[in-house]
Parts: sequence; structure tokens; C-alpha cells
Amino acid sequence: MLATIIQNLINALQWGSFYALIALGYTLVYGVLTLINFAHGDIFMVGAYIAFFVATFMLSAAGLPGWAALALTIPLTMILTSMVGVTLERVAYRPLRRKGAHRLYVVITALMCGLILEHANLALLGASRKAFPPMITEHVYNIGGVSFTNLKVAVIVSAILVFILLQWIVTKTKVGMAMRAISYDKFAVPLMGIPMDNIIVATFVLGSGMAGLAGILFAMSYPILEPYMGALIGWKAFIAAVVGGIGDIRGAFLGGFLLGAVEILVVAFFPSTFRDLIAFTVLLVILAFRPTGLFGVAKTTKI
Amino acid sequence: MLLSVENLEVKYGNIQALHGISFHVNEGEIVTLIGANGAGKTTSLYSICRLTPPEAPRVIAGDIKFRGESILKTRPSDVVKQLNMALVPEGRRIFGNLTVMENLELATYSRERHADLKDEYQRVFDLFPRLHERRKQRSESLSGGEQQMLAVGRALMTGCNFLLLDEPSMGLAPRLKYELFRTLKKLNESGMTILLVEQNASLALNLAHRGYVLDTGELAAQGTSAELLGNPDVKKAYLGG
Repeated sequence: MLATIIQNLINALQWGSFYALIALGYTLVYGVLTLINFAHGDIFMVGAYIAFFVATFMLSAAGLPGWAALALTIPLTMILTSMVGVTLERVAYRPLRRKGAHRLYVVITALMCGLILEHANLALLGASRKAFPPMITEHVYNIGGVSFTNLKVAVIVSAILVFILLQWIVTKTKVGMAMRAISYDKFAVPLMGIPMDNIIVATFVLGSGMAGLAGILFAMSYPILEPYMGALIGWKAFIAAVVGGIGDIRGAFLGGFLLGAVEILVVAFFPSTFRDLIAFTVLLVILAFRPTGLFGVAKTTKI
Repeated sequence: MLLSVENLEVKYGNIQALHGISFHVNEGEIVTLIGANGAGKTTSLYSICRLTPPEAPRVIAGDIKFRGESILKTRPSDVVKQLNMALVPEGRRIFGNLTVMENLELATYSRERHADLKDEYQRVFDLFPRLHERRKQRSESLSGGEQQMLAVGRALMTGCNFLLLDEPSMGLAPRLKYELFRTLKKLNESGMTILLVEQNASLALNLAHRGYVLDTGELAAQGTSAELLGNPDVKKAYLGG
């Protein structure tokens, strides 16, 4: 019994890690720009594909051993995915911001950007799925009836480390302070000699970088890639961020794990086809009681 | 001449807010812009600070020069970083979700990474000892007067030598008002140039060396403070008889 619980807990933490890593990107951008970046789930998908190409190149063309390929693929994927996020900001969101466009139009633009990423992928790479090359050998450990792999542990540890790092950036560094300042009062930020666009770019770098990391980890865990893989997981992560209290980093992190836990719990008792139905219903109920989310404070404070 | 505004015309959307006003500020001076609500005082400050629409207006004619060079193409953050001008905006606009200390630290964002700022923090805390007492508090929890001190202290931490203030006395109890104005005088005596926008005209003119009176986007009068205080029209309209 205990073993089953722990087993489920590990699975919940693994899925929660994916949701949390993506939810952090949603919440960060929302906190700074009050923009729900609906393209973010697809940035995760792009991250997985970038990881696919980088890993394939490292393994076959460069002929590196698996661990070296992985060590290079992680930072490269994160950097390249960040660049995709920043490009979206530059090309799609910034012009609207300059013109003082209403938030509705920016959100619609974000949705379109997501669709463009999906369909550009479909058009350029075709509908066939890609198999992600294995870079490390998965070891299965078995302790007291609980089995887990080195990869699962790595996913969970990465998510926790990233969260700690992000929390440090936001609370301790000047860039993080500037992000919090923007979320409170955009107007006064340039008066402090802070170039607002630089802070916004930094926000997208962080958010997309984490989505890129989620992309690699996900692709390593579930090595089948397809253009729409970011859609559902993106929605789920967004909901996780909202349930946690969008704009709050701890909220996004815990929201991600909460969603992971609810899903695994549902599957433990019901047929797996019930998973999303019941999981979303539970979240709906949470929001009905706390519309601002677990950590959300109505309006004023974000991040 | 440190700053000169020349025949400036600006618009918010389609509404013209300034109809060609000119004024200047010399180094080391305290200059005040006075006038009723909607006269264009805040608009003038926003234009000088190069803030961008929608909050700030768009310049359609005229020029703003800093040491003789146009700054119309300068980014707002560079007004602070390169020209060393800092605005204390109306309503204080401190970052309520940050602590007092974080507000001050954030203002040093554009300064050299390893600059030794100990003395400068000390100067702010000497001017406003209350801020030192409350440095670890969320600044939302400060009283109105303390928030105004923080807004000024924050502007000082940008390393400015030209301070622009928008209605700093608003909402302050009389005692705090006089205290703040004494602080401004002290700052000026130590070399700070000040451009002060005030509705409280007599308070402003008693501090300033020179002043300009704005009326619905146009210049109505100008002169030394003594001249303006003695001007019957100004007296009647802005000094309560």
C-alpha cells in the first residue's frame, strides 16, 4: 500500500515537473506584461523539436557519446528556445505594445502565434512523428517495491532547481526587482533609468528557456514528437498557473505539482480516460472557491 | 543653459495639450512651473523625461534641448542614465510591492555595477531618517509622507543632478510640506538643479528662483519669484488675492 502511494507520488512529481516548468513561463510573462502568452505551450513543442535536432546532430554528425551530447543539448536547446520566445516578443507583441493596443488583441495575437508555430512545424517537417534519440541509458531502480528511473529523478530535481534559481533571480537580482516593479507600476520603471524592453526580453528569455528545458526532458521521457504535442500540455500548464495564482512564481510551481498529483490520483482509481475530465473538474472547483488561485492576491501584486 | 524647452507643442491622441511653450532652467537653479489643473505642467515634465504614449504626449513641434542638444530622440531610461535627470512623479508612484530598500536599490539600476554607493544611501537616510527605520518594510505600508520621502530618495539614488518634481506637496500635512521644501532647498544648496511643478504657488515661489505660469497649455507669465509674487494678475489668479 505504502509502496503504491510512493510510486504514484513519484509519477505525480514527474508530471508535475513538466507542468510546473511550463507554468512558470506563463506566470512570469503574465506577471510582467499582464499578457497571457498562449503561444507558450507551442514554445515548449518547439523546444522539444530543437532538442531533437540538436541531439541528433550531436549523436550522429558529431558522433559524441550520449552524456556529452546531453550536456551540450540542454544548454543549446534552452538558448535556442529562448531566442524563439524573444523573436515572438519582438515580432508580434512589441509592435502592439508600442501602439498601446488593448490586451485582447495581444492575447489573440499570442493564440495565433501558437497556431503559426504548430502549423509551420507541420508544413516544414510533415505530419510524421519524430522519434527522439536516446542519449542516456535509462536505469530502473527498485527500492521496496517502488520503481523509478534515473530520468524521472532527473526531471523532478531539474524542476526544483530551476524553481529555486528563478525565485532567487526574481527576489535578489536587480533584473528580478525590475520585473516585480513592472508588474506593480509600469509607468515608473523608465524613471529609474531602467530600459523596459530589456527587462521584457529577459522575461521571455527565462520563460522560454524553461519551456525549452521542459521540452528536452519531456522528449527524453516520452520520445515521440508531433506538432500538436504542446497544445494540451500547454493548456494544462496554463490552468496550473491560474490555479496557483497567475503572476506568482510559487503558485505556478505548486499549481503544476497539484495538477500532476490530481491526474495521477484520478488514474489510480478510475479508468485513464477519466483523467482529464476529473482533473479539470477538480481545478474548476478550486477556482470557484478561490478565483484568484492559491497564491493569487487580487490584482496588485504579481510575480 | 542646462535645459531649454522651445516652442513646444504636444498632443495626447488628437488633443493638443501644449500650444508652443518655451522655458529654460540654468544649472544650479530652482525653477517652478505653476498653474491650475490642466495647464500643462505635468505634460511638460513628461515631455522632458521623454516618456512614451499612451501616458505621455507626442511632440508635434518645437524642441527640448539639454546643454544645447535636442533630446527628442533620447530614450526615457537614458534621460536618467545619460542626462542625470530624475523625475519624482505625481502620486509618488513608488513600487509598493518592494521594500523601501529595494525601491532605493532599483533606482541604481543604470549605475556602474561596482560603484560605491554607501555614501549616497547614507545621504538619503540623513535627509529622511524615517526611511532608514523602515527600510525592510514593504513600501505600500508607509504613510503618505514617508512614501513621498521614498519617491524623492529613490530619485536621488539614480545619481541625478537635476531633479524634476511633480506636485510633491500634494496630500501632505502642512508640517511635512515645509519639511520637504526645506529638504529641497538643502539639496539645491549642495548643487542640485530643480524644476518644480506645484499647484501651491506661494509655497513654490517662495522656494524657487524663477517661475513660469502656465495656463491651458500656454505661457501666461514668467519672471523671478519676487516679480511673480508681486504681479497683480498672478496674485489674483494663483495666490488667493
